[in-house]
Amino acid sequence: MRPLYGLLLLTFRELWAKKIVLGLFLISSLVLLVVTFALNLDVVEGSLEGIRLFGQNAAPSGEGAEAQTQMTLNRIVVTVESVVAGAAYWIGILLSLFASAGLFSDVQAPGRVELLLSKPVSRTQVIVGHVIGVWAAIALLTIYLMGGTWLVMSIKSGVWNPRFLLSIGIVIGMFGVMYAAVMLMGVWTESTALALIVAYGLIFISMVLAGAGEIASVLGPVGRPVFWGLYHALPNFTEVTTIVTSLSKDQAVSSWYPLISSVLFARRDF
Amino acid sequence: MAPAISVSDLSKTYRTGLFGRSSVRALDGVSLTVPDGAIFGLLGPNGAGKTTLVKILLGLVHPTAGTASLFGTPARQPSARERIGFLPENHRFPGFLTAEQTLHVYGRLADVDGSARADRIAALLDKVGLGDRRDTKVKTFSKGMLQRLGLAQALLNDPDLLFLDEPTSGVDPVGRQVIRDLVLELRDDGTSIFLNSHLLSEVEKVCTQVAILRDGRLVREGTIEELTAVERVYDLTSTAIPDEIVADAALEASPDEAPSDGELRRYRVRADNRSSLNDLLDRLRSAEVAIESITPLRRSLEDYFIDVVDEEMPPS
Repeated sequence: MRPLYGLLLLTFRELWAKKIVLGLFLISSLVLLVVTFALNLDVVEGSLEGIRLFGQNAAPSGEGAEAQTQMTLNRIVVTVESVVAGAAYWIGILLSLFASAGLFSDVQAPGRVELLLSKPVSRTQVIVGHVIGVWAAIALLTIYLMGGTWLVMSIKSGVWNPRFLLSIGIVIGMFGVMYAAVMLMGVWTESTALALIVAYGLIFISMVLAGAGEIASVLGPVGRPVFWGLYHALPNFTEVTTIVTSLSKDQAVSSWYPLISSVLFARRDF
Repeated sequence: MAPAISVSDLSKTYRTGLFGRSSVRALDGVSLTVPDGAIFGLLGPNGAGKTTLVKILLGLVHPTAGTASLFGTPARQPSARERIGFLPENHRFPGFLTAEQTLHVYGRLADVDGSARADRIAALLDKVGLGDRRDTKVKTFSKGMLQRLGLAQALLNDPDLLFLDEPTSGVDPVGRQVIRDLVLELRDDGTSIFLNSHLLSEVEKVCTQVAILRDGRLVREGTIEELTAVERVYDLTSTAIPDEIVADAALEASPDEAPSDGELRRYRVRADNRSSLNDLLDRLRSAEVAIESITPLRRSLEDYFIDVVDEEMPPS
Protein backbone atom coordinates (compact mmCIF):
# COMPACT_ATOMS: atom_id res chain seq x y z
CA MET A 1 0.00 0.00 0.00
CA ARG A 2 2.90 2.37 0.70
CA PRO A 3 3.93 2.72 -2.99
CA LEU A 4 0.29 3.38 -3.98
CA TYR A 5 0.01 6.01 -1.26
CA GLY A 6 3.26 7.54 -2.53
CA LEU A 7 1.84 7.78 -6.06
CA LEU A 8 -1.36 9.32 -4.72
CA LEU A 9 0.57 11.87 -2.72
CA LEU A 10 2.78 12.71 -5.70
CA THR A 11 -0.30 13.37 -7.85
CA PHE A 12 -1.80 15.59 -5.12
CA ARG A 13 1.43 17.56 -4.81
CA GLU A 14 1.57 17.96 -8.57
CA LEU A 15 -2.01 19.23 -8.76
CA TRP A 16 -1.22 21.67 -5.98
CA ALA A 17 2.11 22.79 -7.48
CA LYS A 18 0.52 23.44 -10.86
CA LYS A 19 -2.12 25.53 -9.07
CA ILE A 20 -4.90 23.39 -10.59
CA VAL A 21 -6.49 22.67 -7.22
CA LEU A 22 -5.99 26.26 -6.09
CA GLY A 23 -7.56 27.69 -9.26
CA LEU A 24 -10.62 25.44 -9.11
CA PHE A 25 -10.92 26.07 -5.36
CA LEU A 26 -10.95 29.86 -5.89
CA ILE A 27 -13.61 29.59 -8.63
CA SER A 28 -15.74 27.34 -6.39
CA SER A 29 -15.30 29.73 -3.46
CA LEU A 30 -16.41 32.64 -5.63
CA VAL A 31 -19.61 30.77 -6.57
CA LEU A 32 -20.24 29.93 -2.92
CA LEU A 33 -19.69 33.56 -1.89
CA VAL A 34 -22.22 34.70 -4.50
CA VAL A 35 -24.74 32.12 -3.32
CA THR A 36 -24.11 33.04 0.32
CA PHE A 37 -23.98 36.83 0.23
CA ALA A 38 -25.28 38.09 -3.11
CA LEU A 39 -28.55 36.17 -3.07
CA ASN A 40 -30.81 37.09 -0.15
CA LEU A 41 -34.08 35.32 0.38
CA ASP A 42 -36.58 36.89 2.74
CA VAL A 43 -38.43 33.91 4.12
CA VAL A 44 -41.27 34.56 6.52
CA GLU A 45 -42.99 31.57 8.09
CA GLY A 46 -41.85 29.25 5.33
CA SER A 47 -42.94 31.39 2.38
CA LEU A 48 -40.88 33.65 0.16
CA GLU A 49 -41.54 37.35 0.78
CA GLY A 50 -38.73 38.85 -1.25
CA ILE A 51 -35.53 38.21 -3.24
CA ARG A 52 -32.53 40.51 -3.34
CA LEU A 53 -29.60 40.00 -5.71
CA PHE A 54 -26.42 42.03 -4.98
CA GLY A 55 -28.52 44.23 -2.68
CA GLN A 56 -31.05 45.08 -5.41
CA ASN A 57 -34.62 43.98 -5.02
CA ALA A 58 -35.23 41.14 -7.47
CA ALA A 59 -38.69 40.37 -6.18
CA PRO A 60 -41.44 40.67 -8.78
CA SER A 61 -43.14 44.03 -8.95
CA GLY A 62 -45.58 45.79 -11.27
CA GLU A 63 -48.11 44.15 -13.53
CA GLY A 64 -46.99 40.51 -13.47
CA ALA A 65 -46.05 40.53 -9.83
CA GLU A 66 -49.02 38.57 -8.68
CA ALA A 67 -48.30 35.70 -11.02
CA GLN A 68 -44.67 35.63 -10.14
CA THR A 69 -45.25 35.60 -6.40
CA GLN A 70 -46.68 32.19 -7.03
CA MET A 71 -43.11 31.10 -7.65
CA THR A 72 -42.46 28.96 -4.65
CA LEU A 73 -39.43 29.04 -2.43
CA ASN A 74 -38.85 25.48 -3.48
CA ARG A 75 -38.48 26.50 -7.13
CA ILE A 76 -35.93 29.21 -6.28
CA VAL A 77 -33.83 26.69 -4.39
CA VAL A 78 -33.89 24.02 -7.10
CA THR A 79 -33.21 26.62 -9.78
CA VAL A 80 -30.09 27.86 -8.00
CA GLU A 81 -28.98 24.30 -7.30
CA SER A 82 -29.54 23.13 -10.86
CA VAL A 83 -27.65 26.16 -12.25
CA VAL A 84 -24.70 25.35 -10.00
CA ALA A 85 -24.92 21.63 -10.86
CA GLY A 86 -25.11 22.40 -14.61
CA ALA A 87 -22.16 24.74 -14.34
CA ALA A 88 -20.17 22.19 -12.34
CA TYR A 89 -21.03 19.53 -14.90
CA TRP A 90 -20.25 21.43 -18.08
CA ILE A 91 -17.80 24.19 -17.13
CA GLY A 92 -16.30 22.36 -14.17
CA ILE A 93 -15.59 19.12 -16.04
CA LEU A 94 -14.25 20.90 -19.13
CA LEU A 95 -11.99 23.11 -16.99
CA SER A 96 -10.81 20.17 -14.90
CA LEU A 97 -10.04 18.09 -17.99
CA PHE A 98 -8.13 20.96 -19.54
CA ALA A 99 -6.18 21.55 -16.34
CA SER A 100 -5.34 17.94 -15.61
CA ALA A 101 -4.85 16.49 -19.09
CA GLY A 102 -1.12 17.16 -19.17
CA LEU A 103 -0.41 15.52 -15.82
CA PHE A 104 -0.02 11.98 -17.06
CA SER A 105 2.07 13.08 -20.03
CA ASP A 106 4.46 14.55 -17.46
CA VAL A 107 4.52 11.23 -15.59
CA GLN A 108 5.37 9.47 -18.86
CA ALA A 109 8.11 11.95 -19.78
CA PRO A 110 11.55 10.43 -20.45
CA GLY A 111 13.67 10.58 -17.33
CA ARG A 112 10.68 10.50 -15.03
CA VAL A 113 8.90 7.32 -16.02
CA GLU A 114 12.19 5.39 -15.66
CA LEU A 115 12.51 6.60 -12.07
CA LEU A 116 8.95 5.50 -11.28
CA LEU A 117 9.06 2.12 -12.99
CA SER A 118 12.48 1.22 -11.59
CA LYS A 119 10.77 0.98 -8.20
CA PRO A 120 8.93 -2.21 -7.21
CA VAL A 121 5.61 -0.95 -8.56
CA SER A 122 3.63 -2.29 -11.50
CA ARG A 123 2.47 -0.12 -14.39
CA THR A 124 -1.11 -0.73 -13.26
CA GLN A 125 -0.25 0.67 -9.83
CA VAL A 126 1.28 3.77 -11.42
CA ILE A 127 -1.88 4.41 -13.46
CA VAL A 128 -4.25 3.58 -10.59
CA GLY A 129 -2.32 5.79 -8.15
CA HIS A 130 -2.40 8.68 -10.59
CA VAL A 131 -6.08 8.30 -11.50
CA ILE A 132 -7.17 7.97 -7.88
CA GLY A 133 -5.16 11.08 -7.01
CA VAL A 134 -6.78 13.19 -9.75
CA TRP A 135 -10.29 11.82 -9.10
CA ALA A 136 -9.95 12.37 -5.36
CA ALA A 137 -8.86 15.99 -5.83
CA ILE A 138 -11.70 16.72 -8.26
CA ALA A 139 -14.15 14.87 -5.98
CA LEU A 140 -13.15 17.03 -3.00
CA LEU A 141 -13.58 20.20 -5.06
CA THR A 142 -16.97 19.04 -6.38
CA ILE A 143 -18.15 18.20 -2.87
CA TYR A 144 -16.91 21.60 -1.71
CA LEU A 145 -18.78 23.48 -4.46
CA MET A 146 -21.99 21.49 -4.77
CA GLY A 147 -22.20 20.35 -1.17
CA GLY A 148 -21.50 23.92 -0.06
CA THR A 149 -24.20 25.29 -2.37
CA TRP A 150 -26.68 22.73 -1.10
CA LEU A 151 -25.87 23.52 2.53
CA VAL A 152 -26.04 27.30 2.07
CA MET A 153 -29.29 27.18 0.09
CA SER A 154 -30.87 24.72 2.50
CA ILE A 155 -29.95 26.77 5.58
CA LYS A 156 -31.08 30.04 3.98
CA SER A 157 -34.38 28.69 2.72
CA GLY A 158 -35.15 25.82 5.01
CA VAL A 159 -35.78 23.72 1.88
CA TRP A 160 -33.70 20.54 2.01
CA ASN A 161 -33.37 18.75 -1.32
CA PRO A 162 -31.24 15.63 -0.60
CA ARG A 163 -31.59 14.27 -4.17
CA PHE A 164 -29.34 17.13 -5.29
CA LEU A 165 -26.48 15.41 -3.47
CA LEU A 166 -26.74 12.46 -5.89
CA SER A 167 -25.76 14.80 -8.72
CA ILE A 168 -22.40 15.31 -6.96
CA GLY A 169 -21.66 11.63 -7.57
CA ILE A 170 -22.69 11.95 -11.21
CA VAL A 171 -20.41 14.95 -11.82
CA ILE A 172 -17.51 13.10 -10.19
CA GLY A 173 -18.33 9.92 -12.10
CA MET A 174 -18.61 11.71 -15.44
CA PHE A 175 -15.30 13.49 -14.85
CA GLY A 176 -13.85 10.04 -14.18
CA VAL A 177 -15.22 8.72 -17.47
CA MET A 178 -13.87 11.65 -19.48
CA TYR A 179 -10.52 11.59 -17.66
CA ALA A 180 -10.28 7.87 -18.50
CA ALA A 181 -10.66 8.82 -22.17
CA VAL A 182 -7.95 11.48 -21.79
CA MET A 183 -5.67 8.96 -20.04
CA LEU A 184 -6.25 6.32 -22.70
CA MET A 185 -5.30 8.72 -25.47
CA GLY A 186 -2.45 10.16 -23.41
CA VAL A 187 -0.92 6.71 -22.81
CA TRP A 188 -1.49 5.63 -26.40
CA THR A 189 -0.30 8.73 -28.25
CA GLU A 190 1.77 10.49 -25.54
CA SER A 191 0.14 13.71 -26.76
CA THR A 192 -1.78 15.92 -24.34
CA ALA A 193 -3.22 17.97 -27.18
CA LEU A 194 -4.58 14.92 -28.99
CA ALA A 195 -5.96 13.51 -25.72
CA LEU A 196 -7.90 16.75 -25.14
CA ILE A 197 -9.09 16.91 -28.74
CA VAL A 198 -10.49 13.38 -28.42
CA ALA A 199 -12.15 14.16 -25.07
CA TYR A 200 -13.77 17.34 -26.39
CA GLY A 201 -14.63 15.46 -29.60
CA LEU A 202 -16.47 12.85 -27.54
CA ILE A 203 -18.43 15.63 -25.83
CA PHE A 204 -19.30 17.16 -29.21
CA ILE A 205 -20.41 13.76 -30.57
CA SER A 206 -22.49 13.25 -27.42
CA MET A 207 -24.47 16.39 -28.34
CA VAL A 208 -25.38 14.71 -31.62
CA LEU A 209 -26.06 11.39 -29.88
CA ALA A 210 -28.44 13.17 -27.49
CA GLY A 211 -30.85 13.45 -30.39
CA ALA A 212 -30.59 9.74 -31.10
CA GLY A 213 -34.34 9.13 -31.19
CA GLU A 214 -35.02 11.75 -33.88
CA ILE A 215 -31.84 11.24 -35.91
CA ALA A 216 -31.97 7.43 -36.04
CA SER A 217 -35.53 7.47 -37.37
CA VAL A 218 -34.46 9.30 -40.54
CA LEU A 219 -31.37 7.18 -41.20
CA GLY A 220 -31.21 4.28 -43.67
CA PRO A 221 -30.75 0.56 -42.88
CA VAL A 222 -26.94 0.93 -42.71
CA GLY A 223 -26.76 4.29 -40.94
CA ARG A 224 -29.24 3.41 -38.21
CA PRO A 225 -27.32 0.48 -36.60
CA VAL A 226 -24.05 2.42 -36.91
CA PHE A 227 -25.61 5.39 -35.15
CA TRP A 228 -27.12 3.25 -32.39
CA GLY A 229 -23.78 1.44 -32.07
CA LEU A 230 -22.07 4.75 -31.41
CA TYR A 231 -24.83 5.74 -29.02
CA HIS A 232 -24.27 2.64 -26.90
CA ALA A 233 -20.46 2.60 -27.19
CA LEU A 234 -19.52 6.22 -26.50
CA PRO A 235 -20.05 8.22 -23.30
CA ASN A 236 -23.38 10.06 -23.35
CA PHE A 237 -22.02 13.22 -21.80
CA THR A 238 -24.83 15.51 -22.97
CA GLU A 239 -27.63 13.16 -22.02
CA VAL A 240 -26.26 12.70 -18.52
CA THR A 241 -26.90 16.44 -18.07
CA THR A 242 -30.60 15.66 -17.96
CA ILE A 243 -30.04 13.27 -15.05
CA VAL A 244 -28.09 15.95 -13.14
CA THR A 245 -30.79 18.53 -13.84
CA SER A 246 -33.60 16.15 -12.82
CA LEU A 247 -31.86 15.36 -9.54
CA SER A 248 -31.25 19.05 -8.88
CA LYS A 249 -34.91 19.76 -9.50
CA ASP A 250 -35.91 16.88 -7.24
CA GLN A 251 -37.57 15.18 -10.21
CA ALA A 252 -37.62 11.49 -11.10
CA VAL A 253 -34.91 10.33 -13.53
CA SER A 254 -36.57 8.78 -16.59
CA SER A 255 -33.52 6.79 -17.70
CA TRP A 256 -30.19 6.03 -16.07
CA TYR A 257 -28.90 4.37 -19.24
CA PRO A 258 -26.71 7.29 -20.47
CA LEU A 259 -24.83 7.21 -17.15
CA ILE A 260 -24.50 3.41 -17.13
CA SER A 261 -23.22 3.27 -20.72
CA SER A 262 -20.74 6.06 -19.94
CA VAL A 263 -19.35 4.17 -16.95
CA LEU A 264 -19.06 1.02 -19.08
CA PHE A 265 -17.03 3.06 -21.57
CA ALA A 266 -14.56 3.93 -18.79
CA ARG A 267 -14.27 0.24 -17.85
CA ARG A 268 -13.40 -0.65 -21.44
CA ASP A 269 -10.43 1.77 -21.36
CA PHE A 270 -8.58 -0.26 -18.80
CA MET B 1 22.97 -18.43 -4.85
CA ALA B 2 21.45 -16.78 -7.91
CA PRO B 3 23.68 -14.33 -9.79
CA ALA B 4 22.87 -10.63 -9.53
CA ILE B 5 22.04 -10.50 -13.25
CA SER B 6 21.39 -13.34 -15.63
CA VAL B 7 20.59 -12.72 -19.27
CA SER B 8 20.05 -15.48 -21.81
CA ASP B 9 19.73 -15.10 -25.58
CA LEU B 10 18.08 -11.72 -25.20
CA SER B 11 16.81 -9.97 -28.32
CA LYS B 12 14.82 -6.83 -28.85
CA THR B 13 13.39 -5.48 -32.06
CA TYR B 14 11.71 -2.09 -32.05
CA ARG B 15 8.87 -1.59 -34.51
CA THR B 16 8.81 1.87 -35.99
CA GLY B 17 6.96 3.73 -38.69
CA LEU B 18 3.31 3.61 -39.61
CA PHE B 19 1.75 0.30 -38.47
CA GLY B 20 5.20 -0.85 -37.27
CA ARG B 21 6.37 -1.86 -40.73
CA SER B 22 9.97 -0.78 -40.13
CA SER B 23 12.05 -2.47 -37.49
CA VAL B 24 15.29 -1.81 -35.64
CA ARG B 25 17.12 -4.71 -34.00
CA ALA B 26 18.53 -3.23 -30.80
CA LEU B 27 19.69 -6.48 -29.18
CA ASP B 28 20.60 -9.72 -30.88
CA GLY B 29 20.97 -12.86 -28.76
CA VAL B 30 22.82 -11.35 -25.80
CA SER B 31 23.76 -13.70 -22.96
CA LEU B 32 25.72 -12.68 -19.89
CA THR B 33 25.97 -13.28 -16.16
CA VAL B 34 26.97 -10.79 -13.49
CA PRO B 35 27.89 -12.53 -10.22
CA ASP B 36 26.77 -11.11 -6.91
CA GLY B 37 29.23 -8.49 -5.66
CA ALA B 38 30.73 -7.71 -9.08
CA ILE B 39 31.27 -4.23 -10.47
CA PHE B 40 30.24 -4.70 -14.06
CA GLY B 41 30.85 -2.16 -16.80
CA LEU B 42 28.75 -2.22 -19.96
CA LEU B 43 30.52 -0.54 -22.86
CA GLY B 44 29.61 0.12 -26.45
CA PRO B 45 29.35 2.87 -29.01
CA ASN B 46 26.16 4.91 -29.35
CA GLY B 47 23.31 2.76 -30.63
CA ALA B 48 24.98 -0.48 -29.52
CA GLY B 49 21.97 -1.48 -27.40
CA LYS B 50 23.30 -0.64 -23.90
CA THR B 51 20.29 1.40 -22.83
CA THR B 52 17.89 -1.21 -24.22
CA LEU B 53 19.64 -3.92 -22.19
CA VAL B 54 19.42 -1.82 -19.02
CA LYS B 55 15.76 -1.03 -19.68
CA ILE B 56 14.93 -4.71 -20.17
CA LEU B 57 16.68 -5.55 -16.90
CA LEU B 58 14.58 -2.88 -15.16
CA GLY B 59 11.32 -4.06 -16.71
CA LEU B 60 10.95 -0.82 -18.66
CA VAL B 61 11.14 -2.55 -22.04
CA HIS B 62 9.82 -6.01 -22.88
CA PRO B 63 12.24 -8.28 -24.78
CA THR B 64 11.27 -9.75 -28.13
CA ALA B 65 12.98 -13.03 -27.19
CA GLY B 66 15.13 -14.45 -24.42
CA THR B 67 15.06 -14.12 -20.66
CA ALA B 68 16.47 -11.73 -18.07
CA SER B 69 16.45 -12.11 -14.31
CA LEU B 70 17.70 -10.23 -11.26
CA PHE B 71 18.75 -12.42 -8.32
CA GLY B 72 16.78 -15.24 -9.93
CA THR B 73 13.50 -13.31 -10.29
CA PRO B 74 12.28 -12.58 -13.84
CA ALA B 75 13.10 -8.94 -14.58
CA ARG B 76 9.58 -8.09 -15.71
CA GLN B 77 8.13 -8.77 -12.22
CA PRO B 78 7.94 -5.70 -9.95
CA SER B 79 9.30 -7.80 -7.06
CA ALA B 80 12.58 -8.17 -9.01
CA ARG B 81 13.15 -4.47 -8.37
CA GLU B 82 12.86 -4.69 -4.59
CA ARG B 83 16.61 -5.17 -4.18
CA ILE B 84 17.81 -2.75 -6.83
CA GLY B 85 18.53 0.95 -7.19
CA PHE B 86 18.67 2.84 -10.48
CA LEU B 87 20.17 6.14 -11.54
CA PRO B 88 18.99 6.92 -15.10
CA GLU B 89 21.16 9.08 -17.34
CA ASN B 90 18.83 12.04 -17.88
CA HIS B 91 16.51 11.67 -14.94
CA ARG B 92 13.89 14.28 -14.18
CA PHE B 93 12.60 14.90 -10.69
CA PRO B 94 9.40 16.90 -10.13
CA GLY B 95 10.87 20.40 -9.82
CA PHE B 96 8.31 21.58 -7.26
CA LEU B 97 9.64 19.21 -4.59
CA THR B 98 12.56 19.91 -2.27
CA ALA B 99 15.47 17.47 -2.11
CA GLU B 100 14.08 15.91 1.05
CA GLN B 101 10.51 15.68 -0.27
CA THR B 102 11.81 14.07 -3.46
CA LEU B 103 13.57 11.36 -1.50
CA HIS B 104 10.47 10.77 0.63
CA VAL B 105 8.34 10.33 -2.52
CA TYR B 106 10.76 7.86 -4.12
CA GLY B 107 11.37 6.19 -0.76
CA ARG B 108 7.65 5.48 -0.44
CA LEU B 109 7.62 4.07 -3.96
CA ALA B 110 10.55 1.85 -2.98
CA ASP B 111 8.44 0.72 -0.01
CA VAL B 112 10.91 2.04 2.59
CA ASP B 113 9.35 2.25 6.05
CA GLY B 114 8.60 5.77 7.38
CA SER B 115 10.97 6.13 10.32
CA ALA B 116 13.80 4.25 8.59
CA ARG B 117 13.22 6.43 5.54
CA ALA B 118 13.67 9.70 7.44
CA ASP B 119 16.96 8.51 8.97
CA ARG B 120 18.22 7.15 5.68
CA ILE B 121 17.34 10.33 3.78
CA ALA B 122 19.27 12.48 6.27
CA ALA B 123 22.29 10.18 6.05
CA LEU B 124 22.20 9.97 2.24
CA LEU B 125 21.84 13.72 1.75
CA ASP B 126 24.92 14.22 3.92
CA LYS B 127 26.75 11.48 2.08
CA VAL B 128 26.20 13.02 -1.37
CA GLY B 129 27.01 16.50 -0.08
CA LEU B 130 23.48 17.90 -0.20
CA GLY B 131 22.84 17.96 3.55
CA ASP B 132 22.61 21.76 3.58
CA ARG B 133 20.27 21.81 0.54
CA ARG B 134 17.61 19.45 1.86
CA ASP B 135 14.95 22.18 1.83
CA THR B 136 15.91 23.62 -1.55
CA LYS B 137 13.56 23.09 -4.50
CA VAL B 138 14.98 20.60 -6.99
CA LYS B 139 14.29 22.94 -9.92
CA THR B 140 17.10 25.21 -8.71
CA PHE B 141 19.67 22.38 -8.67
CA SER B 142 22.64 22.23 -11.04
CA LYS B 143 23.27 19.13 -13.17
CA GLY B 144 25.87 17.87 -10.71
CA MET B 145 23.55 18.33 -7.73
CA LEU B 146 20.74 16.55 -9.57
CA GLN B 147 23.06 13.69 -10.33
CA ARG B 148 24.05 13.41 -6.66
CA LEU B 149 20.40 13.56 -5.60
CA GLY B 150 19.67 10.87 -8.18
CA LEU B 151 22.32 8.69 -6.62
CA ALA B 152 20.82 9.24 -3.15
CA GLN B 153 17.42 8.27 -4.61
CA ALA B 154 18.91 5.06 -6.02
CA LEU B 155 20.35 4.13 -2.62
CA LEU B 156 17.20 4.73 -0.55
CA ASN B 157 16.30 1.04 -0.24
CA ASP B 158 19.90 -0.01 0.50
CA PRO B 159 20.03 -1.99 -2.76
CA ASP B 160 22.00 -5.17 -3.38
CA LEU B 161 22.35 -4.23 -7.05
CA LEU B 162 22.82 -0.70 -8.32
CA PHE B 163 22.33 0.33 -11.96
CA LEU B 164 24.21 3.49 -12.90
CA ASP B 165 23.60 4.92 -16.36
CA GLU B 166 26.28 7.51 -17.17
CA PRO B 167 26.53 8.56 -13.50
CA THR B 168 29.21 11.22 -14.07
CA SER B 169 27.76 12.67 -17.27
CA GLY B 170 27.79 16.47 -17.07
CA VAL B 171 29.28 16.46 -13.58
CA ASP B 172 32.32 18.60 -12.72
CA PRO B 173 35.53 16.91 -11.51
CA VAL B 174 34.72 17.47 -7.82
CA GLY B 175 31.24 16.00 -8.18
CA ARG B 176 32.69 13.16 -10.22
CA GLN B 177 35.09 12.40 -7.40
CA VAL B 178 32.20 12.33 -4.87
CA ILE B 179 30.29 9.88 -7.06
CA ARG B 180 33.35 7.72 -7.73
CA ASP B 181 34.20 7.55 -4.01
CA LEU B 182 30.65 6.55 -3.24
CA VAL B 183 30.72 3.80 -5.87
CA LEU B 184 33.98 2.47 -4.43
CA GLU B 185 32.50 2.56 -0.93
CA LEU B 186 29.48 0.59 -2.14
CA ARG B 187 31.77 -1.89 -3.87
CA ASP B 188 33.64 -2.40 -0.59
CA ASP B 189 30.30 -2.96 1.17
CA GLY B 190 29.55 -5.79 -1.27
CA THR B 191 26.94 -4.05 -3.43
CA SER B 192 26.82 -5.31 -7.02
CA ILE B 193 27.07 -2.44 -9.50
CA PHE B 194 26.10 -2.37 -13.16
CA LEU B 195 27.78 0.66 -14.71
CA ASN B 196 26.88 1.98 -18.13
CA SER B 197 29.36 4.70 -19.08
CA HIS B 198 31.19 6.28 -21.98
CA LEU B 199 33.96 7.44 -19.66
CA LEU B 200 36.26 4.45 -20.04
CA SER B 201 38.82 5.82 -17.60
CA GLU B 202 36.05 5.80 -14.95
CA VAL B 203 35.07 2.24 -15.85
CA GLU B 204 38.70 1.15 -15.70
CA LYS B 205 39.06 2.63 -12.23
CA VAL B 206 36.07 0.95 -10.61
CA CYS B 207 34.97 -2.10 -12.62
CA THR B 208 36.09 -5.67 -12.11
CA GLN B 209 34.35 -7.02 -15.21
CA VAL B 210 33.31 -5.45 -18.50
CA ALA B 211 31.29 -6.40 -21.55
CA ILE B 212 31.31 -4.68 -24.91
CA LEU B 213 28.17 -4.46 -27.01
CA ARG B 214 28.28 -3.63 -30.67
CA ASP B 215 25.31 -3.48 -33.03
CA GLY B 216 23.21 -5.26 -30.44
CA ARG B 217 25.61 -8.16 -29.98
CA LEU B 218 27.94 -8.98 -27.13
CA VAL B 219 31.39 -8.99 -28.71
CA ARG B 220 33.68 -9.17 -25.65
CA GLU B 221 33.30 -10.04 -21.99
CA GLY B 222 35.85 -10.55 -19.24
CA THR B 223 37.88 -8.94 -16.47
CA ILE B 224 39.72 -5.69 -17.24
CA GLU B 225 43.03 -7.54 -16.79
CA GLU B 226 42.08 -10.23 -19.29
CA LEU B 227 40.82 -7.83 -21.90
CA THR B 228 43.54 -5.19 -21.76
CA ALA B 229 46.52 -7.59 -21.64
CA VAL B 230 48.51 -7.58 -24.90
CA GLU B 231 49.09 -11.17 -25.94
CA ARG B 232 52.70 -12.39 -25.41
CA VAL B 233 54.15 -8.92 -24.80
CA TYR B 234 55.69 -8.13 -21.42
CA ASP B 235 57.32 -5.24 -19.62
CA LEU B 236 60.62 -6.33 -18.08
CA THR B 237 62.48 -4.34 -15.43
CA SER B 238 65.99 -5.56 -14.72
CA THR B 239 69.64 -4.64 -14.56
CA ALA B 240 71.26 -3.97 -17.95
CA ILE B 241 70.94 -6.91 -20.34
CA PRO B 242 74.02 -7.79 -22.39
CA ASP B 243 73.86 -6.47 -25.96
CA GLU B 244 74.08 -9.91 -27.57
CA ILE B 245 70.88 -11.00 -25.82
CA VAL B 246 69.15 -7.73 -26.61
CA ALA B 247 70.22 -8.08 -30.21
CA ASP B 248 68.85 -11.59 -30.44
CA ALA B 249 66.15 -11.08 -33.00
CA ALA B 250 64.44 -14.32 -32.09
CA LEU B 251 63.58 -13.01 -28.65
CA GLU B 252 62.60 -9.53 -29.83
CA ALA B 253 63.84 -7.80 -26.73
CA SER B 254 64.36 -4.06 -26.97
CA PRO B 255 65.31 -1.50 -24.36
CA ASP B 256 62.75 1.03 -23.22
CA GLU B 257 63.55 4.62 -24.18
CA ALA B 258 63.60 5.95 -20.63
CA PRO B 259 65.79 4.05 -18.14
CA SER B 260 64.37 3.81 -14.66
CA ASP B 261 66.15 4.71 -11.41
CA GLY B 262 69.68 3.53 -10.61
CA GLU B 263 70.94 0.63 -12.59
CA LEU B 264 67.50 -0.75 -13.43
CA ARG B 265 66.27 -0.59 -16.99
CA ARG B 266 63.01 -1.39 -18.72
CA TYR B 267 62.62 -3.62 -21.73
CA ARG B 268 59.72 -4.77 -23.84
CA VAL B 269 59.81 -8.46 -24.46
CA ARG B 270 57.93 -10.30 -27.19
CA ALA B 271 57.75 -14.04 -26.78
CA ASP B 272 55.97 -16.36 -29.20
CA ASN B 273 55.04 -18.77 -26.46
CA ARG B 274 55.59 -19.65 -22.81
CA SER B 275 58.62 -21.78 -23.61
CA SER B 276 60.48 -19.01 -25.44
CA LEU B 277 59.74 -16.62 -22.56
CA ASN B 278 61.21 -19.09 -20.06
CA ASP B 279 64.23 -19.63 -22.31
CA LEU B 280 64.83 -15.89 -22.29
CA LEU B 281 64.54 -15.71 -18.51
CA ASP B 282 67.02 -18.61 -18.17
CA ARG B 283 69.48 -16.80 -20.45
CA LEU B 284 69.09 -13.61 -18.43
CA ARG B 285 69.80 -15.44 -15.16
CA SER B 286 72.79 -17.17 -16.73
CA ALA B 287 74.09 -13.76 -17.74
CA GLU B 288 73.59 -12.63 -14.10
CA VAL B 289 70.91 -10.14 -15.02
CA ALA B 290 68.86 -9.28 -11.90
CA ILE B 291 65.14 -9.27 -12.74
CA GLU B 292 63.06 -6.77 -10.78
CA SER B 293 59.72 -7.55 -12.43
CA ILE B 294 58.07 -8.94 -15.53
CA THR B 295 54.43 -8.11 -16.21
CA PRO B 296 52.15 -8.57 -19.19
CA LEU B 297 51.90 -5.36 -21.20
CA ARG B 298 48.50 -3.71 -20.88
CA ARG B 299 46.72 -1.29 -23.11
CA SER B 300 44.33 1.24 -21.73
CA LEU B 301 40.69 0.13 -21.78
CA GLU B 302 40.03 2.98 -24.18
CA ASP B 303 42.59 1.67 -26.71
CA TYR B 304 41.18 -1.82 -26.38
CA PHE B 305 37.63 -0.55 -26.80
CA ILE B 306 38.50 1.38 -29.97
CA ASP B 307 40.22 -1.69 -31.44
CA VAL B 308 37.17 -3.86 -30.73
CA VAL B 309 34.73 -1.33 -32.12
CA ASP B 310 36.82 -0.87 -35.28
CA GLU B 311 37.07 -4.61 -35.91
CA GLU B 312 35.27 -6.10 -38.87
CA MET B 313 31.91 -7.40 -37.65
CA PRO B 314 31.21 -11.01 -38.59
CA PRO B 315 27.89 -11.58 -40.36
CA SER B 316 25.09 -12.67 -38.04
